[in-house]
Amino acid sequence: MIRLEDIHKRYRSPVLRGIDLHVPAGCIYALIGPGASGKSVLLKVVAGLVRPERGKVYVDGEELGELDDLGLASVRRKIGMLFQNYALFDMTVFENIAFPLRRLYDLPDTEVRERVAERLARVALPGTEDRDPSRMSGGQKKRIGVARATVARPPIVLYDEPTAGLDPVTSQKIYDLIRDEQRAQGTTVMVISSDVSGVLSIADRVGMLHEGELVFDGTAEEARDSTIPAVRQFVHGLVEGPL
Amino acid sequence: MSATPSSARPLLAIPRRIGLVVIALADQLGGAGMLLGQVLVRLRPRRIDRYELFRNLHRMGVRSLPIIAATAAFTGGIMVIQAAPFVEKYNAKNFVGWAATFTTFRELGPLLIALIFNGRVGANNTAELGTMKVTDQVDALRALAIDPVGYLVVPRVIAMVVMMVALCVIGDAVALGGAVLTADLLLDVDPRIFLSSALERLDTWDFLVGLIKSLLFGLMIALMSCYYGLATRGGAPGVGRAVNASVVASAAGVFVADYLSTFVLE
Ligand SMILES: Nc1ncnc2c1ncn2[C@@H]1O[C@H](COP(=O)(O)OP(=O)(O)O)[C@@H](O)[C@H]1O
Ligand SMILES: [Mg+2]
Repeated sequence: MIRLEDIHKRYRSPVLRGIDLHVPAGCIYALIGPGASGKSVLLKVVAGLVRPERGKVYVDGEELGELDDLGLASVRRKIGMLFQNYALFDMTVFENIAFPLRRLYDLPDTEVRERVAERLARVALPGTEDRDPSRMSGGQKKRIGVARATVARPPIVLYDEPTAGLDPVTSQKIYDLIRDEQRAQGTTVMVISSDVSGVLSIADRVGMLHEGELVFDGTAEEARDSTIPAVRQFVHGLVEGPL
Repeated sequence: MSATPSSARPLLAIPRRIGLVVIALADQLGGAGMLLGQVLVRLRPRRIDRYELFRNLHRMGVRSLPIIAATAAFTGGIMVIQAAPFVEKYNAKNFVGWAATFTTFRELGPLLIALIFNGRVGANNTAELGTMKVTDQVDALRALAIDPVGYLVVPRVIAMVVMMVALCVIGDAVALGGAVLTADLLLDVDPRIFLSSALERLDTWDFLVGLIKSLLFGLMIALMSCYYGLATRGGAPGVGRAVNASVVASAAGVFVADYLSTFVLE
Protein backbone atom coordinates (compact mmCIF):
# COMPACT_ATOMS: atom_id res chain seq x y z
CA MET A 1 0.00 0.00 0.00
CA ILE A 2 2.82 2.37 0.92
CA ARG A 3 6.33 1.76 -0.30
CA LEU A 4 9.38 3.98 -0.01
CA GLU A 5 12.54 3.32 -1.97
CA ASP A 6 15.83 4.98 -1.15
CA ILE A 7 14.32 8.26 0.06
CA HIS A 8 16.74 11.13 0.55
CA LYS A 9 15.75 14.53 1.85
CA ARG A 10 17.89 17.32 3.21
CA TYR A 11 17.20 20.78 4.52
CA ARG A 12 20.35 22.40 5.86
CA SER A 13 21.76 19.01 6.70
CA PRO A 14 20.56 15.59 5.57
CA VAL A 15 17.33 14.61 7.31
CA LEU A 16 16.44 11.35 5.55
CA ARG A 17 19.32 9.28 4.23
CA GLY A 18 18.16 6.39 2.12
CA ILE A 19 14.93 5.13 3.64
CA ASP A 20 13.43 1.88 2.32
CA LEU A 21 10.16 0.96 3.89
CA HIS A 22 7.04 -1.05 3.11
CA VAL A 23 3.64 -0.80 4.77
CA PRO A 24 1.28 -3.54 3.53
CA ALA A 25 -2.43 -2.80 3.17
CA GLY A 26 -4.33 -3.06 6.44
CA CYS A 27 -1.20 -2.76 8.56
CA ILE A 28 -0.63 -0.49 11.53
CA TYR A 29 2.94 0.70 11.17
CA ALA A 30 4.48 2.46 14.16
CA LEU A 31 7.30 4.87 13.48
CA ILE A 32 9.44 5.57 16.51
CA GLY A 33 12.73 7.32 17.09
CA PRO A 34 14.32 10.18 19.01
CA GLY A 35 13.35 13.83 18.40
CA ALA A 36 14.50 15.45 15.16
CA SER A 37 15.27 12.07 13.60
CA GLY A 38 13.06 12.86 10.61
CA LYS A 39 9.81 11.11 11.52
CA SER A 40 7.51 14.02 10.69
CA VAL A 41 9.37 14.73 7.45
CA LEU A 42 9.01 11.08 6.47
CA LEU A 43 5.26 11.18 7.06
CA LYS A 44 4.98 14.31 4.90
CA VAL A 45 6.94 12.56 2.17
CA VAL A 46 4.35 9.77 2.21
CA ALA A 47 1.51 12.31 1.94
CA GLY A 48 3.24 13.97 -1.00
CA LEU A 49 3.64 17.22 0.95
CA VAL A 50 7.44 17.10 0.85
CA ARG A 51 9.25 16.04 -2.29
CA PRO A 52 12.35 13.93 -1.67
CA GLU A 53 15.50 14.78 -3.63
CA ARG A 54 16.00 11.17 -4.47
CA GLY A 55 13.96 8.00 -4.25
CA LYS A 56 10.45 6.86 -5.04
CA VAL A 57 7.22 6.97 -3.06
CA TYR A 58 4.47 4.54 -4.01
CA VAL A 59 1.02 5.06 -2.53
CA ASP A 60 -1.66 2.59 -3.60
CA GLY A 61 0.41 1.64 -6.62
CA GLU A 62 1.14 5.17 -7.87
CA GLU A 63 4.55 6.79 -7.80
CA LEU A 64 4.06 10.30 -6.44
CA GLY A 65 7.02 11.78 -8.32
CA GLU A 66 5.40 10.97 -11.65
CA LEU A 67 2.01 12.49 -10.87
CA ASP A 68 0.83 15.94 -11.97
CA ASP A 69 -1.20 18.15 -9.62
CA LEU A 70 -4.43 16.40 -10.50
CA GLY A 71 -2.99 12.94 -9.94
CA LEU A 72 -1.45 14.04 -6.67
CA ALA A 73 -4.78 15.48 -5.56
CA SER A 74 -6.52 12.19 -6.23
CA VAL A 75 -3.92 10.29 -4.18
CA ARG A 76 -4.29 12.77 -1.33
CA ARG A 77 -8.02 12.11 -1.18
CA LYS A 78 -7.16 8.61 -0.04
CA ILE A 79 -5.06 9.93 2.84
CA GLY A 80 -6.18 11.37 6.15
CA MET A 81 -3.51 13.12 8.15
CA LEU A 82 -3.09 14.30 11.72
CA PHE A 83 -0.30 16.87 12.04
CA GLN A 84 2.08 17.07 14.97
CA ASN A 85 1.01 20.63 15.80
CA TYR A 86 -2.69 20.01 15.04
CA ALA A 87 -2.93 22.34 12.00
CA LEU A 88 -6.50 23.21 12.98
CA PHE A 89 -8.07 26.04 11.01
CA ASP A 90 -9.36 29.27 12.48
CA MET A 91 -12.94 27.99 12.55
CA THR A 92 -15.19 26.24 15.06
CA VAL A 93 -14.62 22.61 16.01
CA PHE A 94 -17.57 21.60 13.86
CA GLU A 95 -16.34 23.48 10.79
CA ASN A 96 -12.86 21.99 11.19
CA ILE A 97 -14.10 18.43 11.26
CA ALA A 98 -16.71 19.01 8.56
CA PHE A 99 -14.12 20.67 6.31
CA PRO A 100 -12.84 17.49 4.57
CA LEU A 101 -16.40 16.19 4.12
CA ARG A 102 -17.61 19.42 2.57
CA ARG A 103 -14.54 19.78 0.39
CA LEU A 104 -14.25 16.23 -0.86
CA TYR A 105 -17.87 15.09 -0.96
CA ASP A 106 -21.24 16.58 -1.59
CA LEU A 107 -23.19 15.35 1.43
CA PRO A 108 -26.50 16.60 2.83
CA ASP A 109 -26.12 18.84 5.90
CA THR A 110 -27.84 16.41 8.24
CA GLU A 111 -25.37 13.68 7.35
CA VAL A 112 -22.42 16.02 7.85
CA ARG A 113 -23.79 16.91 11.31
CA GLU A 114 -24.26 13.26 12.21
CA ARG A 115 -20.80 12.24 11.11
CA VAL A 116 -19.12 15.10 12.93
CA ALA A 117 -21.06 14.28 16.11
CA GLU A 118 -20.11 10.62 15.79
CA ARG A 119 -16.42 11.53 15.40
CA LEU A 120 -16.52 13.85 18.40
CA ALA A 121 -18.06 11.11 20.52
CA ARG A 122 -15.33 8.72 19.39
CA VAL A 123 -12.56 11.08 20.48
CA ALA A 124 -14.31 11.70 23.81
CA LEU A 125 -15.26 15.32 23.08
CA PRO A 126 -19.02 15.06 22.51
CA GLY A 127 -21.01 18.28 22.19
CA THR A 128 -18.02 20.57 21.59
CA GLU A 129 -19.11 21.49 18.04
CA ASP A 130 -19.41 25.21 18.61
CA ARG A 131 -16.21 25.75 20.54
CA ASP A 132 -13.15 27.57 19.25
CA PRO A 133 -10.19 25.15 19.00
CA SER A 134 -7.65 27.88 19.76
CA ARG A 135 -9.13 28.08 23.26
CA MET A 136 -8.83 24.36 23.90
CA SER A 137 -5.99 22.37 25.47
CA GLY A 138 -3.27 20.66 23.44
CA GLY A 139 -4.75 17.25 24.12
CA GLN A 140 -8.19 18.38 23.00
CA LYS A 141 -6.76 19.87 19.80
CA LYS A 142 -5.01 16.57 19.09
CA ARG A 143 -8.29 14.73 19.36
CA ILE A 144 -10.08 17.21 17.10
CA GLY A 145 -7.24 16.64 14.64
CA VAL A 146 -7.81 12.88 14.88
CA ALA A 147 -11.52 13.42 14.22
CA ARG A 148 -10.77 15.59 11.18
CA ALA A 149 -8.22 13.13 9.80
CA THR A 150 -10.66 10.23 9.93
CA VAL A 151 -14.07 11.80 9.24
CA ALA A 152 -13.94 11.19 5.48
CA ARG A 153 -13.01 7.52 6.09
CA PRO A 154 -9.85 7.54 4.00
CA PRO A 155 -8.23 4.16 3.32
CA ILE A 156 -4.87 5.47 4.58
CA VAL A 157 -4.43 7.45 7.78
CA LEU A 158 -1.18 9.07 8.92
CA TYR A 159 -0.97 10.11 12.57
CA ASP A 160 1.88 12.32 13.76
CA GLU A 161 2.05 11.95 17.56
CA PRO A 162 -1.66 11.34 18.19
CA THR A 163 -1.21 10.92 21.94
CA ALA A 164 1.38 13.59 22.73
CA GLY A 165 0.09 15.65 25.65
CA LEU A 166 -2.72 13.24 26.51
CA ASP A 167 -3.25 11.54 29.86
CA PRO A 168 -2.82 7.73 29.89
CA VAL A 169 -6.54 7.00 29.82
CA THR A 170 -7.29 9.26 26.86
CA SER A 171 -4.16 7.98 25.13
CA GLN A 172 -5.46 4.47 25.41
CA LYS A 173 -8.83 5.60 24.05
CA ILE A 174 -7.09 7.06 21.00
CA TYR A 175 -5.06 3.89 20.47
CA ASP A 176 -8.23 1.82 20.77
CA LEU A 177 -9.92 4.09 18.26
CA ILE A 178 -7.04 3.71 15.80
CA ARG A 179 -7.07 -0.06 16.12
CA ASP A 180 -10.86 -0.47 16.04
CA GLU A 181 -11.17 1.56 12.87
CA GLN A 182 -8.32 -0.32 11.31
CA ARG A 183 -10.01 -3.63 12.10
CA ALA A 184 -13.44 -2.45 11.00
CA GLN A 185 -12.45 -0.77 7.75
CA GLY A 186 -9.10 -2.31 6.88
CA THR A 187 -7.42 1.10 6.99
CA THR A 188 -3.69 1.27 6.43
CA VAL A 189 -2.12 3.28 9.23
CA MET A 190 1.22 4.91 9.91
CA VAL A 191 1.56 6.33 13.38
CA ILE A 192 4.44 8.27 14.88
CA SER A 193 4.66 8.09 18.64
CA SER A 194 7.10 8.77 21.44
CA ASP A 195 5.00 6.65 23.75
CA VAL A 196 6.70 3.42 22.70
CA SER A 197 4.92 0.92 24.94
CA GLY A 198 1.53 2.36 24.08
CA VAL A 199 2.03 2.36 20.33
CA LEU A 200 3.63 -1.10 20.32
CA SER A 201 0.46 -2.47 21.92
CA ILE A 202 -1.48 -1.77 18.71
CA ALA A 203 1.22 -1.89 16.03
CA ASP A 204 1.65 -4.75 13.57
CA ARG A 205 5.02 -3.50 12.47
CA VAL A 206 7.54 -1.03 13.84
CA GLY A 207 10.25 1.07 12.24
CA MET A 208 12.80 3.07 14.14
CA LEU A 209 14.44 6.16 12.65
CA HIS A 210 17.76 7.33 13.97
CA GLU A 211 19.74 10.14 12.40
CA GLY A 212 17.85 9.84 9.14
CA GLU A 213 18.20 6.10 8.74
CA LEU A 214 15.79 3.29 9.40
CA VAL A 215 17.80 1.36 11.97
CA PHE A 216 15.04 -1.15 12.65
CA ASP A 217 12.10 -2.52 10.69
CA GLY A 218 10.15 -5.52 11.98
CA THR A 219 7.22 -6.71 14.10
CA ALA A 220 6.41 -5.30 17.53
CA GLU A 221 7.67 -8.56 19.06
CA GLU A 222 10.97 -8.29 17.27
CA ALA A 223 11.33 -4.67 18.40
CA ARG A 224 10.95 -5.68 22.04
CA ASP A 225 13.53 -8.46 21.65
CA SER A 226 15.92 -6.51 19.43
CA THR A 227 19.57 -6.61 20.40
CA ILE A 228 20.50 -3.56 18.30
CA PRO A 229 21.79 -1.22 21.02
CA ALA A 230 19.94 1.94 19.89
CA VAL A 231 16.65 0.05 19.44
CA ARG A 232 16.98 -1.76 22.76
CA GLN A 233 17.70 1.50 24.53
CA PHE A 234 14.81 3.38 22.92
CA VAL A 235 12.17 0.65 23.22
CA HIS A 236 12.96 -0.06 26.86
CA GLY A 237 13.66 3.54 27.81
CA LEU A 238 17.15 2.87 29.15
CA VAL A 239 19.50 5.66 30.16
CA GLU A 240 22.65 3.79 29.17
CA GLY A 241 23.22 3.39 25.47
CA PRO A 242 24.23 5.02 22.22
CA LEU A 243 21.37 7.59 22.05
CA MET B 1 37.28 26.76 -2.10
CA SER B 2 39.70 29.17 -0.46
CA ALA B 3 38.14 29.62 2.93
CA THR B 4 38.90 33.23 3.75
CA PRO B 5 36.70 34.38 6.60
CA SER B 6 34.88 37.55 5.58
CA SER B 7 36.16 39.33 8.70
CA ALA B 8 39.73 38.85 7.48
CA ARG B 9 39.02 40.93 4.38
CA PRO B 10 37.04 43.91 5.48
CA LEU B 11 37.21 45.46 2.03
CA LEU B 12 35.55 42.44 0.47
CA ALA B 13 32.86 42.37 3.12
CA ILE B 14 31.06 45.40 1.69
CA PRO B 15 30.57 44.20 -1.89
CA ARG B 16 29.74 40.81 -0.45
CA ARG B 17 27.00 42.32 1.70
CA ILE B 18 25.68 44.26 -1.28
CA GLY B 19 25.75 41.12 -3.38
CA LEU B 20 23.81 39.18 -0.79
CA VAL B 21 21.20 41.92 -0.50
CA VAL B 22 20.79 42.05 -4.28
CA ILE B 23 20.39 38.29 -4.44
CA ALA B 24 17.85 38.31 -1.61
CA LEU B 25 15.94 41.14 -3.29
CA ALA B 26 15.91 39.37 -6.64
CA ASP B 27 14.79 36.19 -4.89
CA GLN B 28 11.89 37.96 -3.20
CA LEU B 29 10.82 39.97 -6.22
CA GLY B 30 11.00 36.79 -8.29
CA GLY B 31 8.91 34.97 -5.69
CA ALA B 32 6.27 37.69 -5.61
CA GLY B 33 6.29 37.82 -9.43
CA MET B 34 5.77 34.09 -9.66
CA LEU B 35 2.92 34.35 -7.18
CA LEU B 36 1.33 36.94 -9.49
CA GLY B 37 1.57 34.45 -12.35
CA GLN B 38 0.02 31.70 -10.23
CA VAL B 39 -2.81 34.02 -9.24
CA LEU B 40 -3.48 35.07 -12.84
CA VAL B 41 -3.81 31.51 -14.17
CA ARG B 42 -6.35 30.80 -11.42
CA LEU B 43 -8.53 33.82 -12.15
CA ARG B 44 -11.52 31.92 -13.47
CA PRO B 45 -14.73 33.23 -11.93
CA ARG B 46 -16.27 29.86 -11.27
CA ARG B 47 -13.21 28.54 -9.50
CA ILE B 48 -12.95 31.37 -7.00
CA ASP B 49 -13.98 30.46 -3.49
CA ARG B 50 -16.96 32.78 -2.91
CA TYR B 51 -17.11 32.32 0.83
CA GLU B 52 -13.44 33.17 1.31
CA LEU B 53 -13.75 36.14 -1.04
CA PHE B 54 -16.67 37.73 0.82
CA ARG B 55 -15.12 37.00 4.20
CA ASN B 56 -11.96 38.81 3.14
CA LEU B 57 -13.80 41.70 1.49
CA HIS B 58 -15.62 42.26 4.73
CA ARG B 59 -12.75 42.10 7.16
CA MET B 60 -10.22 43.87 4.95
CA GLY B 61 -12.47 46.62 3.62
CA VAL B 62 -15.37 47.31 5.89
CA ARG B 63 -13.29 47.20 9.03
CA SER B 64 -10.68 49.54 7.58
CA LEU B 65 -13.27 52.22 6.84
CA PRO B 66 -13.05 54.27 10.05
CA ILE B 67 -9.27 54.73 10.00
CA ILE B 68 -9.21 55.39 6.26
CA ALA B 69 -12.00 57.95 6.56
CA ALA B 70 -10.18 59.73 9.39
CA THR B 71 -6.96 59.83 7.38
CA ALA B 72 -8.73 61.18 4.31
CA ALA B 73 -10.58 63.88 6.24
CA PHE B 74 -7.34 65.14 7.76
CA THR B 75 -5.53 64.96 4.43
CA GLY B 76 -8.16 67.15 2.80
CA GLY B 77 -7.97 69.58 5.69
CA ILE B 78 -4.19 69.69 5.73
CA MET B 79 -4.04 70.48 2.03
CA VAL B 80 -6.25 73.51 2.64
CA ILE B 81 -4.11 74.64 5.57
CA GLN B 82 -1.03 74.29 3.37
CA ALA B 83 -2.64 76.49 0.75
CA ALA B 84 -3.90 79.03 3.25
CA PRO B 85 -0.95 81.51 3.22
CA PHE B 86 -1.06 81.80 -0.56
CA VAL B 87 -4.81 82.09 -0.64
CA GLU B 88 -4.66 84.98 1.80
CA LYS B 89 -1.62 86.62 0.19
CA TYR B 90 -2.99 86.60 -3.35
CA ASN B 91 -6.65 86.47 -2.40
CA ALA B 92 -6.96 83.31 -4.45
CA LYS B 93 -10.15 81.99 -2.93
CA ASN B 94 -11.26 80.76 -6.32
CA PHE B 95 -8.33 78.40 -6.54
CA VAL B 96 -8.28 76.83 -3.12
CA GLY B 97 -10.79 74.10 -4.04
CA TRP B 98 -8.75 73.01 -7.00
CA ALA B 99 -5.38 73.28 -5.25
CA ALA B 100 -6.50 71.16 -2.33
CA THR B 101 -8.25 68.42 -4.30
CA PHE B 102 -5.86 68.04 -7.23
CA THR B 103 -2.95 66.71 -5.18
CA THR B 104 -5.19 64.80 -2.83
CA PHE B 105 -7.01 62.92 -5.57
CA ARG B 106 -4.01 62.23 -7.76
CA GLU B 107 -1.30 61.60 -5.25
CA LEU B 108 -1.68 62.05 -1.54
CA GLY B 109 -4.96 60.22 -1.05
CA PRO B 110 -3.96 56.95 -2.73
CA LEU B 111 -0.49 57.03 -1.18
CA LEU B 112 -1.58 57.64 2.40
CA ILE B 113 -4.47 55.19 2.14
CA ALA B 114 -2.07 52.57 0.76
CA LEU B 115 0.38 53.07 3.61
CA ILE B 116 -2.35 52.70 6.20
CA PHE B 117 -3.84 49.75 4.34
CA ASN B 118 -0.38 48.17 4.32
CA GLY B 119 0.09 48.61 8.04
CA ARG B 120 -3.32 47.33 8.89
CA VAL B 121 -4.49 44.83 6.29
CA GLY B 122 -1.16 43.81 4.73
CA ALA B 123 0.53 43.15 8.07
CA ASN B 124 -2.47 41.25 9.32
CA ASN B 125 -2.58 39.18 6.16
CA THR B 126 1.09 38.21 6.42
CA ALA B 127 0.67 37.30 10.07
CA GLU B 128 -2.34 35.15 9.29
CA LEU B 129 -0.78 33.30 6.38
CA GLY B 130 2.51 32.98 8.26
CA THR B 131 0.76 31.43 11.23
CA MET B 132 -1.04 29.03 8.92
CA LYS B 133 2.28 28.10 7.35
CA VAL B 134 4.21 27.43 10.56
CA THR B 135 1.38 25.49 12.18
CA ASP B 136 1.11 23.21 9.12
CA GLN B 137 -2.34 24.50 8.16
CA VAL B 138 -1.11 25.14 4.63
CA ASP B 139 0.08 21.54 4.43
CA ALA B 140 -3.23 20.43 5.91
CA LEU B 141 -5.02 22.16 3.01
CA ARG B 142 -2.72 20.50 0.49
CA ALA B 143 -3.31 17.17 2.20
CA LEU B 144 -7.02 17.71 1.55
CA ALA B 145 -6.25 18.19 -2.14
CA ILE B 146 -6.90 21.95 -1.85
CA ASP B 147 -4.58 24.27 -3.75
CA PRO B 148 -3.31 26.90 -1.25
CA VAL B 149 -2.85 29.58 -3.92
CA GLY B 150 -6.38 29.14 -5.21
CA TYR B 151 -7.96 28.88 -1.78
CA LEU B 152 -5.89 31.35 0.25
CA VAL B 153 -4.15 33.77 -2.10
CA VAL B 154 -6.61 34.44 -4.95
CA PRO B 155 -9.52 35.60 -2.73
CA ARG B 156 -7.14 37.75 -0.68
CA VAL B 157 -5.58 39.42 -3.71
CA ILE B 158 -8.97 40.18 -5.26
CA ALA B 159 -10.33 41.46 -1.95
CA MET B 160 -7.33 43.70 -1.33
CA VAL B 161 -7.33 45.21 -4.83
CA VAL B 162 -11.09 45.80 -4.82
CA MET B 163 -11.01 47.28 -1.35
CA MET B 164 -8.06 49.57 -2.04
CA VAL B 165 -9.93 51.07 -5.00
CA ALA B 166 -13.19 51.31 -3.06
CA LEU B 167 -11.46 52.88 -0.08
CA CYS B 168 -9.83 55.37 -2.42
CA VAL B 169 -13.21 56.46 -3.83
CA ILE B 170 -14.59 56.84 -0.33
CA GLY B 171 -11.39 58.53 0.77
CA ASP B 172 -11.69 61.09 -2.05
CA ALA B 173 -15.23 61.94 -1.00
CA VAL B 174 -14.29 62.27 2.66
CA ALA B 175 -11.17 64.28 1.84
CA LEU B 176 -13.29 66.64 -0.21
CA GLY B 177 -15.59 67.02 2.78
CA GLY B 178 -12.65 67.69 5.10
CA ALA B 179 -11.25 70.26 2.70
CA VAL B 180 -14.58 72.08 2.28
CA LEU B 181 -15.07 72.24 6.01
CA THR B 182 -11.54 73.46 6.72
CA ALA B 183 -11.73 76.06 3.95
CA ASP B 184 -15.00 77.32 5.31
CA LEU B 185 -13.84 77.54 8.92
CA LEU B 186 -10.29 78.70 8.35
CA LEU B 187 -10.33 80.79 5.20
CA ASP B 188 -14.00 81.69 5.10
CA VAL B 189 -14.31 80.22 1.60
CA ASP B 190 -17.92 79.55 0.75
CA PRO B 191 -18.44 75.77 0.17
CA ARG B 192 -20.15 76.57 -3.16
CA ILE B 193 -17.15 78.53 -4.41
CA PHE B 194 -14.85 75.79 -3.19
CA LEU B 195 -16.80 73.06 -4.95
CA SER B 196 -17.25 74.92 -8.21
CA SER B 197 -13.53 75.71 -8.28
CA ALA B 198 -12.72 72.07 -7.65
CA LEU B 199 -15.19 70.68 -10.15
CA GLU B 200 -14.42 73.15 -12.93
CA ARG B 201 -10.71 72.66 -12.97
CA LEU B 202 -10.53 68.99 -12.05
CA ASP B 203 -10.65 66.41 -14.79
CA THR B 204 -12.28 63.02 -14.51
CA TRP B 205 -8.78 61.91 -15.37
CA ASP B 206 -7.35 63.36 -12.14
CA PHE B 207 -9.80 61.22 -10.24
CA LEU B 208 -9.07 58.17 -12.39
CA VAL B 209 -5.31 58.51 -11.95
CA GLY B 210 -5.87 58.13 -8.22
CA LEU B 211 -7.96 55.02 -8.75
CA ILE B 212 -5.43 53.43 -11.09
CA LYS B 213 -2.73 54.11 -8.55
CA SER B 214 -4.75 52.56 -5.73
CA LEU B 215 -5.32 49.52 -7.88
CA LEU B 216 -1.57 49.16 -8.40
CA PHE B 217 -0.84 49.80 -4.73
CA GLY B 218 -3.48 47.27 -3.68
CA LEU B 219 -1.97 44.67 -5.97
CA MET B 220 1.51 45.42 -4.66
CA ILE B 221 0.47 45.09 -1.01
CA ALA B 222 -1.58 41.97 -1.71
CA LEU B 223 1.20 40.14 -3.53
CA MET B 224 3.93 41.11 -1.08
CA SER B 225 1.91 40.28 2.00
CA CYS B 226 0.79 36.91 0.61
CA TYR B 227 4.27 36.06 -0.61
CA TYR B 228 5.96 36.85 2.72
CA GLY B 229 3.19 35.07 4.60
CA LEU B 230 3.51 31.83 2.67
CA ALA B 231 7.32 31.99 2.75
CA THR B 232 7.33 32.15 6.57
CA ARG B 233 9.58 29.70 8.37
CA GLY B 234 10.67 29.15 11.92
CA GLY B 235 7.68 29.18 14.24
CA ALA B 236 6.19 32.22 15.97
CA PRO B 237 9.41 34.30 15.77
CA GLY B 238 9.39 33.59 12.04
CA VAL B 239 5.90 35.09 11.78
CA GLY B 240 7.15 38.29 13.41
CA ARG B 241 10.05 38.51 10.99
CA ALA B 242 7.78 37.87 8.03
CA VAL B 243 5.35 40.63 9.03
CA ASN B 244 8.21 43.07 9.45
CA ALA B 245 9.75 42.22 6.08
CA SER B 246 6.36 42.31 4.36
CA VAL B 247 5.41 45.78 5.65
CA VAL B 248 8.77 47.25 4.67
CA ALA B 249 8.82 45.60 1.23
CA SER B 250 5.22 46.59 0.47
CA ALA B 251 5.83 50.21 1.48
CA ALA B 252 8.94 50.34 -0.69
CA GLY B 253 7.01 48.70 -3.52
CA VAL B 254 4.20 51.25 -3.19
CA PHE B 255 6.65 54.15 -3.47
CA VAL B 256 8.37 52.64 -6.50
CA ALA B 257 5.00 51.96 -8.17
CA ASP B 258 3.93 55.52 -7.33
CA TYR B 259 7.09 57.02 -8.79
CA LEU B 260 6.81 55.05 -12.01
CA SER B 261 3.08 55.47 -12.45
CA THR B 262 3.27 59.23 -11.87
CA PHE B 263 5.50 59.36 -14.95
CA VAL B 264 3.25 57.19 -17.05
CA LEU B 265 -0.09 58.66 -15.95
CA GLU B 266 0.47 62.27 -17.07
N1 LIG C 1 10.60 22.77 6.58
C1 LIG C 1 11.80 22.54 7.16
N2 LIG C 1 12.83 23.39 6.94
C2 LIG C 1 14.04 23.17 7.49
N3 LIG C 1 14.32 22.15 8.29
C3 LIG C 1 13.35 21.25 8.58
C4 LIG C 1 12.04 21.41 8.02
N4 LIG C 1 11.27 20.38 8.46
C5 LIG C 1 12.07 19.63 9.26
N5 LIG C 1 13.32 20.14 9.33
C6 LIG C 1 14.45 19.57 10.09
O1 LIG C 1 14.48 18.19 9.87
C7 LIG C 1 14.83 17.49 11.05
C8 LIG C 1 13.81 16.40 11.34
O2 LIG C 1 12.58 17.01 11.69
P1 LIG C 1 11.28 16.17 12.07
O3 LIG C 1 10.97 15.22 10.98
O4 LIG C 1 10.23 17.16 12.42
O5 LIG C 1 11.74 15.39 13.37
P2 LIG C 1 10.89 14.41 14.28
O6 LIG C 1 11.51 13.06 14.13
O7 LIG C 1 11.03 14.93 15.68
O8 LIG C 1 9.47 14.46 13.82
C9 LIG C 1 14.94 18.53 12.15
O9 LIG C 1 16.29 18.77 12.39
C10 LIG C 1 14.25 19.74 11.58
O10 LIG C 1 14.88 20.91 12.04
MG1 LIG D 1 7.86 15.20 14.56
